[in-house]
Amino acid sequence: MADVDDGASAPVSEPLDLVRLCLDEIVFVKLRGDRELKGRLHAYDSHCNLVLGDVEETVYVVEEDEEEEEVLRTIHKKSEMLFVRGDSVVLISPQAPS
Amino acid sequence: MSFFGFDSTLPRDRGHNPSAPGFSQAADPFAGLSRPEDDDDALDFEDTYDGLGDQLDETDDAFNDDTFGGDGPAVTAKKQVGKDFDFFGQTAKVSDAINEEQLRFTRQQPISRVTPTISTFSQPLSKPARSGYERYKEPDYVPDMQVDASLWGVAPKQPASAPVHEAPTGPTGTRKMMSLEEVEATMRAQAKKPTQAPAPTQQPSQLQFSQAPPQQYQQAYAQPTPQQYPVQPSGQSREEPRQANSGQPNQPIQILQRSQAPASQPTLPAGPSQPIQILQNPNRYSGEQQRATPPQHQSHHGHHTRPSGSRNIITHPQQLAGLSEEERNAFLLEDAKRAKRNHKIFLLSKDNGLMTPQDKNFITRIQLQQLVTATGNPNERSTDAGLSEDFYYQVHNQIRGGPRQHPGQPLSNFAQTYLFQTGGRHGGMRRQARGGDNHMQRMEQQVQRAVEAAKNKPKNKQLVIEGSLGKISFSNAKTPKPLLNIKRADSGADTNRPGSAARDRKANMAGVSGNDRKTVLTDIENVYNTLMQMEDHDRHVPPPSNDDIDPELVGRHMDWRDTGLKLNQQLWKQLKVHEPIGATTTHPFIAFLSFSKGKKAIPRVFRHITQEQRTTILTMIVVHLDQLDVIRNAQLLSGETQLNASLREDVDLFSLAVMPSLFQFLSEADLDIVTGVLGLILTINVDVIARSRVGVSMLTMILSRAELIKQGGGSNEQEWDQWVNTYNGFFDTLEPTLPSIFPGTVNTGEDVYVWQFLAAIGIGASPEQQQRLVMAVKDRVMETVTLAKTLPPAMASQRLANVNLFMRSIGLDVDLLQ
Repeated sequence: MADVDDGASAPVSEPLDLVRLCLDEIVFVKLRGDRELKGRLHAYDSHCNLVLGDVEETVYVVEEDEEEEEVLRTIHKKSEMLFVRGDSVVLISPQAPS
Repeated sequence: MSFFGFDSTLPRDRGHNPSAPGFSQAADPFAGLSRPEDDDDALDFEDTYDGLGDQLDETDDAFNDDTFGGDGPAVTAKKQVGKDFDFFGQTAKVSDAINEEQLRFTRQQPISRVTPTISTFSQPLSKPARSGYERYKEPDYVPDMQVDASLWGVAPKQPASAPVHEAPTGPTGTRKMMSLEEVEATMRAQAKKPTQAPAPTQQPSQLQFSQAPPQQYQQAYAQPTPQQYPVQPSGQSREEPRQANSGQPNQPIQILQRSQAPASQPTLPAGPSQPIQILQNPNRYSGEQQRATPPQHQSHHGHHTRPSGSRNIITHPQQLAGLSEEERNAFLLEDAKRAKRNHKIFLLSKDNGLMTPQDKNFITRIQLQQLVTATGNPNERSTDAGLSEDFYYQVHNQIRGGPRQHPGQPLSNFAQTYLFQTGGRHGGMRRQARGGDNHMQRMEQQVQRAVEAAKNKPKNKQLVIEGSLGKISFSNAKTPKPLLNIKRADSGADTNRPGSAARDRKANMAGVSGNDRKTVLTDIENVYNTLMQMEDHDRHVPPPSNDDIDPELVGRHMDWRDTGLKLNQQLWKQLKVHEPIGATTTHPFIAFLSFSKGKKAIPRVFRHITQEQRTTILTMIVVHLDQLDVIRNAQLLSGETQLNASLREDVDLFSLAVMPSLFQFLSEADLDIVTGVLGLILTINVDVIARSRVGVSMLTMILSRAELIKQGGGSNEQEWDQWVNTYNGFFDTLEPTLPSIFPGTVNTGEDVYVWQFLAAIGIGASPEQQQRLVMAVKDRVMETVTLAKTLPPAMASQRLANVNLFMRSIGLDVDLLQ
């Protein structure tokens, strides 16, 4: 069974194979529109549509205060389950649970 | 010739055409086309329109309405009009009579338009546009009931009178009509006559209702002669249709229903407004003919039947006249009902015959195809297609066990339902009875054939074109067509590619270290891949072989087993249980278990491996028990009362996913294995194990299993000696830890498992060991009892019951302490 050795290690043949390694793990997802997500990756597909669980969403908003100075404000949201449409995904990064 | 909808011909040119046909003349819209050439001048717009109003002679228009039938188009085919009536000359004098006549005509006229459906003659229905029911749409319709008894050979009193008087015929033949004088004279003559007078009226009047298309009715016009038209049926009108029938087979027979024209009306007490004639319209009775033909009226040949067979069949107006008022009313009522029903049938059947049987078959095929594809074929459950369409049901089925008893059942049910429904519908459609049975049979056969074909023929969903990148997929409603389906290389083939070899080597090297996170994750994914393959493989188990040995089936079984074995080897390899212990800081399998998805995989793995492999896994876990993250990291430091959330989650997951599998395996294990496992634990850090929840549970599991075996009494002395030795060693090792095995303080209350563990120890312990045990945990027992006194009764009893688990195991009770 010489070839079993070969079959034993997973070939990483496409980028999404790396995403697959993050299944059921906490991942950090950056989205278009200055949004970031952190949550457990339940599922993904070839369009980078994602299903995340226990998600913490961070939205960065630039506002102008009275002196017309730009102030960065962050909005945090939490969702138990989230479907992310793939066209808004900028990056997916594994995130070791802290 | 008329530009603006009125007759543009100038009066001085044409005058009022004295020879124009009367209102009852068939309006020939194309008559004007045959006008001579010189009329073309009138087409000049300027000439015809300019000063038209001045040139009009208003006075001559006075009788236009009368002449042209009010709104009828001006018919100016002067050359075709016969000279045998003098209508116009009489018009002025008898305009009232004309109106009357017109009224009567409009009421009766449609009868002559009744298209002979000729079901009685089994003639082809050549003019379906005319249904014969137009009449019922008329507002003030009163059914005329008149039988053409001559058709049925009744009263052949004048059999030889026939073809003497042939009306001139021809496509554009002159349509003669009685002048008003003649009509009146006829009426007078009729009135003088008693009813049932057999003598035919000798007047040469030809009462013909000629507002019908000439082609269709020219024979009909020829039929009624002055001798024949009165009440008594003549032989000729009976003869005529047959002549036409034989002479012109392609032309539909025209049954003239009007041979007993209005001349008979005056014989009846009621005026023209009262319906006195029994309409003898074969078309109307086409649906009733089967049940018609009452024998008691052979003389009238019973063509015309009423629903109530007991009463007289009325085929003659005279008969009707002879009836009492009540009977007549009843009859008229029934006739109205019948007319209503026939009208309904007509409305329903107006689209009859639109589709040929071939059309119907075609539609049926389309429907069947749609239905079969929409419901899918349950026989494909073992194929990938069936799985992808019905995945959760299939998996559920597999876990629950018990495959479907009759795979074909749903579809055949469906087919039956479908057939039954159409059958019921067919039963309701009596009109389609003829030929319908044939159609039904064909359709049933088609259903069966479609079902069979769907069973047998594998669905070819893809077409691979040589040299193309992907496949062309066909779509159906359930599985829309994927635009491009690129074949994905198997992992096995992939590794043979030269480019991936280097990566593999790197991965292997990384795998040796065993602590590379990515490698572990990759291992887990590989395991899941193999697991899914194995689960899929399980679904492809060939049907169980019967007594008679089918070589092909046996071969399939062997193949299936071989593949299963191969997959098992692959899985075993990927689990990396056999990696050398101690070669890496963390054993790959333990690293595997440190991920939650690795833990979750264990129950699925256990389902697919052998008992020996399970033993190995248990051994592996026990040997590395102190290295498991759920034990190593779950040590409560002094002051801590709780683990952090994620760690608690891991512990719970391990207890839910891994422990049951191990427990189930251990509950079937023999004493030697239990002894061996406990011996292994002695070689590692018992202190760490005993201070974690998972470790304590594991120990409880082992000890209680030994106790169960002892109570079962299934083992020999030697094994027992071994067990006791091991147990003693374990007890000695554990004793220092015992005071600190309780998590948190006494207040947290999450110490049930500890009491369980202590109970497990206590049962197997010798009296001396029990005493040492009590000494070790005495403080905690007392604390709990004291605390219980301050707690609400329910909670207190709960805590005391926990303590009692242990106390009872050593023959004591909490109550003794209170």
